[in-house]
Amino acid sequence: MNTYTHAVVCSCFYALSLTVTPALAADDEMDALSLESAPEVEPTAPRNIKWFAEGAWGSASQRYLPDSRNIGRASIDFSYASRLAPGWRAVVSDRLDYFEPALAGSDAAVNSLREAYLSWQPQGTDAVLELGRINLRYGPAYGYNPTDFFRDGSLRVLTTADPFALRENRLGTVMLRAQKLWSGGSFSLAYAPKLENQASTHGWNLDVGATNNRNRALAVLGTEFSPKLSSQVLVYQENGQSATLGFNMTALLSDAATAHLEFTRGSEPDLRSRALGGVATDVTRNRFSGGVTYTTTSKLSLTAEYHYNGFALDQAGWTALSATPGAPFIYLGEALRLQEIAPRQAYLLYLTQKDLGYKDLNLTAYLRLNPGDDSRLAWLELRRHWANFDLSLQWQQNMGSVGSEFGLLPDRRVVQILGNYYFR
Amino acid sequence: MKILIHLLLTFWLALPGAIAAPLASEILAASDAIRNPGKPFSVTVTLTEFQAGKQVDTSTLTSYSRVQRQGGDFASLIRFVLPLRDAGKLMLKNGNDMWFYDPASKATIRLSPQQRLLGQASNGDVATVNFARDYAAALAATEEIKDGERRTRMAYKLVLTASTEGVTYPGIEMWVDAENSRPLKARFFAESSRLLKTVYYRRFQSQLGAERPTESVIIDGLNPQSVTIMRFSDYVARDIPPTWMQRDFLPRFQPE
Repeated sequence: MNTYTHAVVCSCFYALSLTVTPALAADDEMDALSLESAPEVEPTAPRNIKWFAEGAWGSASQRYLPDSRNIGRASIDFSYASRLAPGWRAVVSDRLDYFEPALAGSDAAVNSLREAYLSWQPQGTDAVLELGRINLRYGPAYGYNPTDFFRDGSLRVLTTADPFALRENRLGTVMLRAQKLWSGGSFSLAYAPKLENQASTHGWNLDVGATNNRNRALAVLGTEFSPKLSSQVLVYQENGQSATLGFNMTALLSDAATAHLEFTRGSEPDLRSRALGGVATDVTRNRFSGGVTYTTTSKLSLTAEYHYNGFALDQAGWTALSATPGAPFIYLGEALRLQEIAPRQAYLLYLTQKDLGYKDLNLTAYLRLNPGDDSRLAWLELRRHWANFDLSLQWQQNMGSVGSEFGLLPDRRVVQILGNYYFR
Repeated sequence: MKILIHLLLTFWLALPGAIAAPLASEILAASDAIRNPGKPFSVTVTLTEFQAGKQVDTSTLTSYSRVQRQGGDFASLIRFVLPLRDAGKLMLKNGNDMWFYDPASKATIRLSPQQRLLGQASNGDVATVNFARDYAAALAATEEIKDGERRTRMAYKLVLTASTEGVTYPGIEMWVDAENSRPLKARFFAESSRLLKTVYYRRFQSQLGAERPTESVIIDGLNPQSVTIMRFSDYVARDIPPTWMQRDFLPRFQPE
């Protein structure tokens, strides 16, 4: 359609629209113009500190015991970021959780120093150099991030089953990192040295051993091909192993839909060997995560994802593993520690609904499905926001036949109420 | 009969070489220049939401904006200030390249235009859209209207039709003050011709070298009882490099 025709058609369209669109009543508009804005925030320096307290209380019905058990938690979450001098920035982020009862194999009070690093950006450049404990995270997927290479061992405690909220608790890795930006792209290099041999279970330990128990390096090239398409190419190397290649991409499909994918290919021992020991030989496998997010005009956002982990057990392998008492628990525990999916394939449905029948009442829910054994994890949260306070109800159900991935978990159902208070 | 006259008028306005066409585009460009500072800047935005005249919510954000290309649209990096639970979160809008970043989870999420409309910043584009770049303008009338201060003003009524792909609003009606090119009022339409929102620009004050509107009153098209007032304060001209307006910068952002 040429420009002239387009203009004519559009002009007709809008002329007609004047007759079919219900016009705003002039009175409504005049009423609106009589309203006054809330007072402006006083122009002050940006807030450097963000901190909040969280309390949780609930009950878990147990699969292997007749009685339910009470669960409780109190947490303080603190983060600080400040410009020290032109070009210099300091970041500290910490979280303290107190569990009642204490988590198995852990102290009741567990502190997680998530970040503590200095950042230097020379004046007039687009380069930055950072040193310290840095939470470096890659990967656009919701439930499984193969290109998030620094994820393993980074969770000291599990305070939620929500994959998004879970990331808020993770430990950074001590590293030296450099990044260069240009319009439409970036390149970064990170080196994380070995500083300890193994993780600590002591609550107040900095737990550098959880994140820095081997030498690691990561190079990332980020490219924005167009406003609708961007990608990252990653090369990851840890001592004693060959390089792992990674790739992730996001795309805008339409006004309402986006897509994302992550892919890695590398050689390492499979997950069973890593969990249970024995002869561990490297195998070359792929990991993949891909999904689509669709948002409706009614504020409903739905994400569907497919996950693949070539290093994990297939269904036949899982059945064989189940023949050894206790082995599936060890396997699942290692998968959780490494933030891997335990089965070869999995699906995730993730849903958010804003203003669920009431302003500031939000629903978040997800379903994880293991298609190999048809077991499922369902999780749902209703959260009501006030100015400085959130109140939420969480429900989690682990469903599946005896011996299946989610049918094996000790907690059958967990219900808890949480309160968050955000300090000024 | 009224419809017929309107159709004839709009047909005439759309004719190539119509006398009003260049005038309309000049009016629009002059109006854009009043809304949009010609240099990179930051501004604090206070959003106050009302339902049936009662205040139901308020939030504050800081917007860092610059034109990425000569004559192009504004790209904006938006930092949430209030409420406290959202403090420090970022949203980037560079055309259709839209991202949300949460410093707590380190999650950088690509947003679809529909997804962006769920957030507080959804009304931000009615403030910094470069209409002259993305729309073809036609002068539909010169008429008296009530402005945002409820005073009667003589205004040019422009009918804007999208000339580029990917704009949020396919059609807009805009009233520009005939005396000084100030934007006074705009009505934003969806593809389906449904009225999405009506906006009044008001409280003109001297900011960054020109008299600019420091308040927008946004009235929901479907529910006129739903009103949002955006107040713009603390305009500051800033050196905002173009490299800020991309995903990989978001984790590095530190407010000044």
